[in-house]
Amino acid sequence: MFNHSINNNARYGLDTVRCTKMGEALMTALRNGVQGICGVAMGAALFLFPAVHANAQEVIGGTLYGDMGLVSQDMLSRAASDGNNFLHTNGNYNQTRYYPSRQIDTGNVGELRPAWIFQTEVVETMETTPIVVNGVMYATTAFNHVYALNAATGEQIWHYKHNMGPVTTYCCGPNNRGVAIYDDRVYMGTLDARLVALDAKTGKVIWDKEIADPELGYSETMAPTAVNGKILIGTNGGEYGVRGFVKAFDAKNGDLLWTFHTTAENSVGVWATRDATGRDMLRDVAAEKAALKKMGDPYKTLGGGVWQNPAVDLASNRIFFVAGNPSPDLDGSLRPGDNLYTNSLVAVDLDTGKYACHFQYIAHDVWDLDAVSPPILVDVADASGKMVPGVLHGGKTGHVYVHDRKDCSLIRYSEAMVPQENMWVLPTKDGARMLPGANGGVEWSPMAVDADLGLTYAINLHQPMTYHVESSPYPEGKLWLGGAFKVIPNEAQWGNVTAVDYNTGKIRWQVKTQQPMIGGILATAGGLVFTGEGNGQFKAYDSETGSLLWKFQAGAGVNAPPASYTVDGKQYIVVAAGGNTQLNYKRGNNIIAFTLAD
Amino acid sequence: MTRQVYLSALALVCMLALSGTGSARAESVPPPEIAEQVELCSGCHGTDGVPVTEATPIIWGQEEYYIYVQMRDIKAGRRANEIMYSVVADLSKAEMRALGKYFAQRPWPSTSFKAQEGDDAIAHRMASAGQCAQCHLSAFDGDSRVPRAAGQLASYLEKTMLDFKHKRRMNAPDKASLLETFDDQDIAAMARYLASLQAH
Repeated sequence: MFNHSINNNARYGLDTVRCTKMGEALMTALRNGVQGICGVAMGAALFLFPAVHANAQEVIGGTLYGDMGLVSQDMLSRAASDGNNFLHTNGNYNQTRYYPSRQIDTGNVGELRPAWIFQTEVVETMETTPIVVNGVMYATTAFNHVYALNAATGEQIWHYKHNMGPVTTYCCGPNNRGVAIYDDRVYMGTLDARLVALDAKTGKVIWDKEIADPELGYSETMAPTAVNGKILIGTNGGEYGVRGFVKAFDAKNGDLLWTFHTTAENSVGVWATRDATGRDMLRDVAAEKAALKKMGDPYKTLGGGVWQNPAVDLASNRIFFVAGNPSPDLDGSLRPGDNLYTNSLVAVDLDTGKYACHFQYIAHDVWDLDAVSPPILVDVADASGKMVPGVLHGGKTGHVYVHDRKDCSLIRYSEAMVPQENMWVLPTKDGARMLPGANGGVEWSPMAVDADLGLTYAINLHQPMTYHVESSPYPEGKLWLGGAFKVIPNEAQWGNVTAVDYNTGKIRWQVKTQQPMIGGILATAGGLVFTGEGNGQFKAYDSETGSLLWKFQAGAGVNAPPASYTVDGKQYIVVAAGGNTQLNYKRGNNIIAFTLAD
Repeated sequence: MTRQVYLSALALVCMLALSGTGSARAESVPPPEIAEQVELCSGCHGTDGVPVTEATPIIWGQEEYYIYVQMRDIKAGRRANEIMYSVVADLSKAEMRALGKYFAQRPWPSTSFKAQEGDDAIAHRMASAGQCAQCHLSAFDGDSRVPRAAGQLASYLEKTMLDFKHKRRMNAPDKASLLETFDDQDIAAMARYLASLQAH
């Protein structure tokens, strides 16, 4: 048996009517959904299907071997080699999203079947990465629900529904990307800009603190990061004239320990006229300098949201994160200067939040091509071919950027993974067409790494847009784009999955997809990568070659990052299928766990 | 017209409107501190949630924070509306928040409005280009600071979109930038489509 049990199993006594109905629904779903691979799992899945009861259940952590419910710092630190749990949104502190178990591999992935499907009560965009510890899964939904599930059966243990305040802010859907787990608690940021600590066993609130004032445009969609007694979290708000930050809270009581503001009080910088790849961004530096003289440094409403997890470098005691676009997105006239540290990779000290280094990809961005996808720490070849500690970031520009971890400097950037046209044409009143569109390239979707192959895996969008600029003063916490982005209705849109050799910058393989891709990707030691699509397909590819090895139709957009875990000797792959608000993919409410047919 | 005259006129409309209705449902009795204002609002916005003029929006069941922000913006001169200005000019933030909460908790009324053939195709094309569902959500029922548009009066929706387009309404500047890129016929079709979304 695995290391925990569910209290009062008897209370899960089967409700015949309900189960029959659910069974029928599941049969239909499986008939419609599984592409020729149903058979064996179907019967089992019927019995494993979660019977949802109102009675709150508890996770029982105590075992013969001690209290396995507790997640120690040591467990979090060695998560990269933990073949049972999935403890971080991006797998481990290096954020490689590489799962070390190889039970499911290139040879048997064709036998992958749904083990169970859990339906949440929220049919809306899902971007959660399930966290799994000792056989218990913690997953979130839109509008900040948290579910604790039996990871082997899909049975619900508890359900927490955040009591949302009337003021929420989000540009791109009521998303939530999951919880952080630390000790005996799970932590979630909310759309009304609060940080909530829940008892991992019961789902009861331990503390609930405001991170920032939601009326000013602050909100949370990212999963927090837990490390050394701290809960780290950034903020959304790059479309609302916020002042971005990363904050560290005390895991015990929610006290604020430090704040790093992503817009520096001197945000002017060096008046860089070229982007990270050397292309001219057509800045009118003279006009900007005149504006700066007139209006002063714009740092207070300059945006710079951080809405994906930082990577934690335990060796140097630094965290690495990317800061998003300046506010207003399209109108640079109100924010002269380089707008530091927007659109940058930034490193700060874990204990103090003090600045360590940064690298800005696009100074004074007017295209919303911000840095979003979470950075990955991995050893990389430097310019001379020597392996050094590095940092990877997948850009909305369509490049993977490779950095030296010691000073954030750029070592190389990859070939473009999507078409680039008219870079950098300035936005106009009537709209200027430029590729990529403002969603990327690589959107927030986390990449994965297989360090043995020296490859990083990115999912991309090709979504042509026109960029329109129109200046307006800060509208008091309201959406502040400084114009509009418009998807060009008659142009083809598509996506791709791309493997990039980060030691050379060359694309190793690339697979086109029917729709622009958003959600994330997982690599495993079984030689596989898993990723989902807006059309409901969830797919496994050979990570070395890009060969498609398996697929499953989930019935709603699969636009969340997959995870993997092992319970009682069985490896599972899990993913949420809830569609996506930003790209308007079909909504659903399923969390689906797969395992090999017996 | 002076503000006093406006308010007197509104009060009259309000009394006339109220005289035709039965007793208010117990759960819709407003808190005493905003009872007077609620009565005034109901003169135009309707005692049953259905506005008495086509240019007046449904506010029953509208998003709480959105209602407050509109009053705040009108009071601050960011959204121009003479009648509404005279109503909200002397209201405190607490009163505006309470009014927002009160009206948000009323049930959204049905108008049984039907779109014209072809409106849905135009609306879907526009929504895709303008990425409307990102904020208004897929059912166009809004959230918090983003208004519900589903089931709103077509006349009000069309006027609002045109007001943004022609910069008569200025308190959401990005809406102007976006709506400038759509033509008036398409905006009218979108308004009818949104107004026809009744079933929730």
